[in-house]
Amino acid sequence: MKHRDRVLMALAREVPDRCPMQISFTPEFADRVRADLVARGMPENPAAALNVDGSRAGEHNPHGGGNTYELERALDEDLILTSVGWANEYYREGDQYVDEWGVLWRSQPYETRFGAGRYTEMVGHPLADDAAIASYVPPDPYRESLYADAARVIRDFRDEYFVVGVTVTTIWETAWALRGYTQLLIDMVTDEELTDAILEIPFQYHMAAAERLARMGVDMLWTGDDIGSQRGMLFAPTTWRHFYKPRMAELIARVKAINPALKVAYHTDGDVREVLPELAEIGIDVLNPVQPACMDPAWLKREYGDRFLFWGSMDEQHTLPFGTPQDVRDEVRLRLDTIGRGGGLILGPTHHVQLDTPLENFWAMVETIRETPCR
Amino acid sequence: MADLAALTAAIEAGDRATAVRITREAVDEGMDPRAVLGAMTAAMEVIGAKFQCNEIYVPEMLISARAMKEATAVLEPVLVKAGIRPEHTAVLGTIKGDLHDIGKNLVGMMWKGANIEVIDLGTNVTAEKFVEAAKEHGATIVGISALLTTTMVGMKDVVAAIRAANLGDVKVIVGGAPVTQDFADLIGADGYASDAASAVEAAKTAVGMA
Repeated sequence: MKHRDRVLMALAREVPDRCPMQISFTPEFADRVRADLVARGMPENPAAALNVDGSRAGEHNPHGGGNTYELERALDEDLILTSVGWANEYYREGDQYVDEWGVLWRSQPYETRFGAGRYTEMVGHPLADDAAIASYVPPDPYRESLYADAARVIRDFRDEYFVVGVTVTTIWETAWALRGYTQLLIDMVTDEELTDAILEIPFQYHMAAAERLARMGVDMLWTGDDIGSQRGMLFAPTTWRHFYKPRMAELIARVKAINPALKVAYHTDGDVREVLPELAEIGIDVLNPVQPACMDPAWLKREYGDRFLFWGSMDEQHTLPFGTPQDVRDEVRLRLDTIGRGGGLILGPTHHVQLDTPLENFWAMVETIRETPCR
Repeated sequence: MADLAALTAAIEAGDRATAVRITREAVDEGMDPRAVLGAMTAAMEVIGAKFQCNEIYVPEMLISARAMKEATAVLEPVLVKAGIRPEHTAVLGTIKGDLHDIGKNLVGMMWKGANIEVIDLGTNVTAEKFVEAAKEHGATIVGISALLTTTMVGMKDVVAAIRAANLGDVKVIVGGAPVTQDFADLIGADGYASDAASAVEAAKTAVGMA
């Protein structure tokens, strides 16, 4: 069965041979998996360690911009991601860098028992000062160069794989990177006009990018913002309804007008049960990543299985980093029996696989997904 | 006479201008600062309760905490002059390797709101720094926050360092998205809180505060 057909079946709520699978990785974990694959007999391909544009030597982009996808394909994943937008600014090289939006990033090293890595954290915000907002000029979403990678992916991979156009960090994430996290949370409840002015910036950019990706022929558009926390919405549903719902509704309407068959996925971490009915109302098809410590996947299937398709659900706060391989296998099977019953699921971890995940656990997940028939 | 009920309401509403104005009135009138402080902590107690049952969310907590902070600044000189100090001091920080601070900041705001003195060490804090600060400030509470599975494992070292430093009866409270009660028990922490509001309860219980 073609990888893309497996995904199409699952999204049509039919039962494919096995559950479609999608996994992304931090650059360090990508290196570790690649080395392990080579040790297991995958031919070593130095060119594959470089990204296609050559300029980001060896750095894997977890959101899928500029990758060779050698790893994803070697693992038998079914979806290929290609991203346009602010999310591509994560994991750039250097101890410190300013991205094209003016956000200052700093490299933050960490250690695990499997080696050292780095996260990139936003430490400087170009719109921290109110006075900077009116005169701010965002990057141009219409540059042809932004879409070269998507064109390549569609040309080379869409025949076999399900292609996802990625415009995550659609509004809130980029907006707080521009303004400052705490400040924008306060702005949302104290200054409506200023908040609107800031939110429009990433919204217009990512909507333009989304429309272009839809016209180019991606199978699914992946949007989203982290609006949930570990134990509830980050901000009030009324706040979300006022600032984010109409914008997302407009974006979704526009891309579906371009391609009515396009699926739209929404990424949000955390517990967002309070706005699930409205996410369905505005046309979100696929809920991602289904963080299981916050929203029970089995409950979601029971309550929303007719309204949403699901993507994700493998726990990365406990099972993958700290569980046993058997825990991982059991969790895959539990998901297949519940949120994946009768199709409707793309299975995978709820975030990029982190370096603190033991390889045994990673392979337990991949092998169990690949070997277990769906029903 | 300054309207303390209105002060409580102002802080609950996140109305910093009104909170500051009423506090100033109270100070000018020579009102007992303990009564004024009481009106403020009462507001934050309501805020904490509302947050715990999802009646309000992080933005509302932030503006209430801000209102209390600015009102407290007006009251501070009077409290200092009268020798009124919080009974307990807490040292607070995000663990080494971790730059995330919103959760930690909210805990700090809620602890201050409960009249606990808070020494906020910021983010990326080493075990040594936690110990040093606890010693320097005579802290009875150490609060550690982590957002990442990769950094939370370091909390174990902080607990060990604090016990090894023999600082007296210091209680360690831990929290953060990936942290659980089980993990807190495993590393020998004295308390665990799943959010900033329950962190007040956790601290009070740990040190036997009313």
